Amino acid sequence: MYKKSLSQQIYDARWCYLFILPCSILTGMFVLYPIGMSWYFSLLDWSGFTDDAKFIGFQNYVEAINDKFFWDAFYRSFIFMFGTVPVKIVLGFIIAVFLNNQVLKLSPFFRTIIFMPVVTAIAIIGIVMTFIFSPFNGPANKLLMATNLTSGPIDFLGNPDTVLPTVMGVYVWKWLGITMMYWLAALQTVPQDVYDAAKIDGAEGLKLWINIILPIVLPFAIVIILVEAVSALNVFPLIETMTAGGPFFSSEVMEVYIFRTAFITDAGTMPRLGYACAAGVFWGVAVLFITALQGFWMRKIRRI
Amino acid sequence: MKKKNKFKVSRRTIMKGALATGAVMSAASIPSSLFAGEYNIPDPLKALPTTGGNMRWIDSGDMKGVFWKKLFPEYAASRGITIEYDGLPWKEINKIVPLAVRNGTVHDVFQIPLNMDPGVAVAEGWVQPWDDYIENIDEWLAGFPSGVYLPGVNQFGGKTYGVCLTANKRTGTCLLSSNKYMSEAGYDPQAGRMTYSEVRDAAKKITKNGNGQYYGWIIGGNQVNRWEDVVHTFGQVAGAHSGRGGFTNRHISFKTGKFVIDSDEYMAAVELLLQLKSDGSAFPGVMSMNAPQARALMPQGAAGMIFQGPWCIGTWAKDAPDWEFTIASEPVPDGKKAEPLYIAEGGSNTLWLSKDSKMGPFAGDLVRFMGTEQGQIYWAQTVGAADPAVSPGAVAKAGLTGASAQALKMFNENLLVGPNPIVRNKDIGIVAAKSRLPDPSLALVIQGLYTGQLQGIEKNLKECNQRYEDALDKAIDEARADGANVSRDDWVFPNWDTSSNYGADKYLEL
Repeated sequence: MYKKSLSQQIYDARWCYLFILPCSILTGMFVLYPIGMSWYFSLLDWSGFTDDAKFIGFQNYVEAINDKFFWDAFYRSFIFMFGTVPVKIVLGFIIAVFLNNQVLKLSPFFRTIIFMPVVTAIAIIGIVMTFIFSPFNGPANKLLMATNLTSGPIDFLGNPDTVLPTVMGVYVWKWLGITMMYWLAALQTVPQDVYDAAKIDGAEGLKLWINIILPIVLPFAIVIILVEAVSALNVFPLIETMTAGGPFFSSEVMEVYIFRTAFITDAGTMPRLGYACAAGVFWGVAVLFITALQGFWMRKIRRI
Repeated sequence: MKKKNKFKVSRRTIMKGALATGAVMSAASIPSSLFAGEYNIPDPLKALPTTGGNMRWIDSGDMKGVFWKKLFPEYAASRGITIEYDGLPWKEINKIVPLAVRNGTVHDVFQIPLNMDPGVAVAEGWVQPWDDYIENIDEWLAGFPSGVYLPGVNQFGGKTYGVCLTANKRTGTCLLSSNKYMSEAGYDPQAGRMTYSEVRDAAKKITKNGNGQYYGWIIGGNQVNRWEDVVHTFGQVAGAHSGRGGFTNRHISFKTGKFVIDSDEYMAAVELLLQLKSDGSAFPGVMSMNAPQARALMPQGAAGMIFQGPWCIGTWAKDAPDWEFTIASEPVPDGKKAEPLYIAEGGSNTLWLSKDSKMGPFAGDLVRFMGTEQGQIYWAQTVGAADPAVSPGAVAKAGLTGASAQALKMFNENLLVGPNPIVRNKDIGIVAAKSRLPDPSLALVIQGLYTGQLQGIEKNLKECNQRYEDALDKAIDEARADGANVSRDDWVFPNWDTSSNYGADKYLEL
């Protein structure tokens, strides 16, 4: 059978390539190029201000590995992920189940309300939340004190014990809508016949969900968990606007650590773009490795 | 030989056009008719180009921005140009200016990032001298007070690269208090400098009177530099003589050349902050707010005292003209005499002219006017004590009253010029470029002590002091490896009389 040459295949699909060209150029400029250059910069002792950059090999990586604050931020990033992803997955699923019910008349209204935080600018949310959680006339504290849940105001964002859980709570609230939409899409792939057949066979309530629906949507769950896990490791705008990593590093995750090292130095010292790039590359590789590991184990579970 | 920038690639060139277009469209182009006629702007000393153009200007805003936004439209109209002004927080300038320099979109006139030594900006080719654009510059420079323009600070290779229109004779940690709350607590806010015990007592009484509605003291705790600023200045007032400014000056005693972070005076200052917290006098939520937020809450009646700078005066006068407050000097430990605070030679808010700027004639003309007595008077009348005009004569003629006049009087009484190692040895600029602030910095240590995450003031300040010593030694070693001729002795000034100004002649004695 006649097999077309590569050039012929490319020529036949030329319109496809032409249409993906703009996106490819932008991807190259704003994704691939910065990634590549950050690998190179990570090998330099460079402030980012001057042309005086010295090649130092893997010294930046060695320094990062030996930096207590690097590992503390690393650890906090995963605390953030493990604290928010399960909550979002479970809550998002429960809400999706309710909103997927055709009998519920106001379902579109509730979907919109729950999705609205998703489309609100995250920096705005961060700033507004600092007022909401303020211990001085903040609505959250007023509600807690009015309902006698607390006797005095809680400094949610200023107390090292409460700052990370508070930011995690805001994160869950902000992005719950998107998890809900993922689950809704997954649930809507279950044919109505399945529900009808299950009813006839007497499988209702929890039995229906555990034995029939969940196994069908499990492949989607794997993807949703992976996507949510990666998203939870990218929370810079929210944390920077709410706490800037404080108080005293309590909410400093890896991205805030990298930003602080790269740009925000006290008066009189230069930033360290080379070192920040090394921390960023290390973090990126770690996330990639952990994501791959997750994916591997999820697929194993799926086969079982 | 300087290496060419090997990181310029075509992507940046492509983006240059888009960014430049965006920048022109985005920022404040103020209609020239808005404030017509307030300033008597003289004709230029020499003919300016008639081709017009757009001059872009960036600085750290605040009260400076208030003045520039009034002056720029009139100046622009008088010269047939447009002026685009960006007044941004230092955090943004520290990021934007280096990036803009690298991609060729930097403003014509800008302030360099706080964490950058001016010598580095000159050596890297970021800026050009003002000499070609300020007519009769030598005569103009002679009109400034002695010590404003110095080699290694704003002059390099015999040319003037940085222009200072404001003095650095001010502090940012004055005691600003509500007259009403202080009076109710039994204190006269006009009585002058308070002791630590008095501050604590006043704060306790204000808190008791407030009954949960207002508190004795507030600070923008989320903005870490405020902690360091307070402890540094209070420590100096208490007697831990040290410099101010960047890492190679701040917290260093020029008597011994060593850091004074673990001094009794610094510890006492930290202890005061912790006592204000343990007394219950601290506004709840200080850790959740930055300095502008804390400042904004004062006229709303949230607290009785704040340690802040004279820039609050203009802001409060605008936002809460009926609120009565007093500015006073920093408090002093009980039983101690207040010592002077030391500033380095030179002015502040130094303005630099971009190497590639085509608007040099106009920038030079404007800056020249602002350096004259009339320009300085105009400045002083609007900006007041927030960024004092560099000319004391102009300040006196500006007719300032109230808190502004009080603040300026305080600064004149409390501040002296101290030694500046970089004036003695230019190679310290290389040390500054190599220096890296240790983690955690003093600011973060104080914040950690305040939140309780760190325990033991003495232990933590001693450890912090050692980290700073090690960091400076490391920076010196790296600078020496690059050929700099420096040693720790450059920070020791045996002829420093802490009760008088350290003038230019003193450096010659060394």
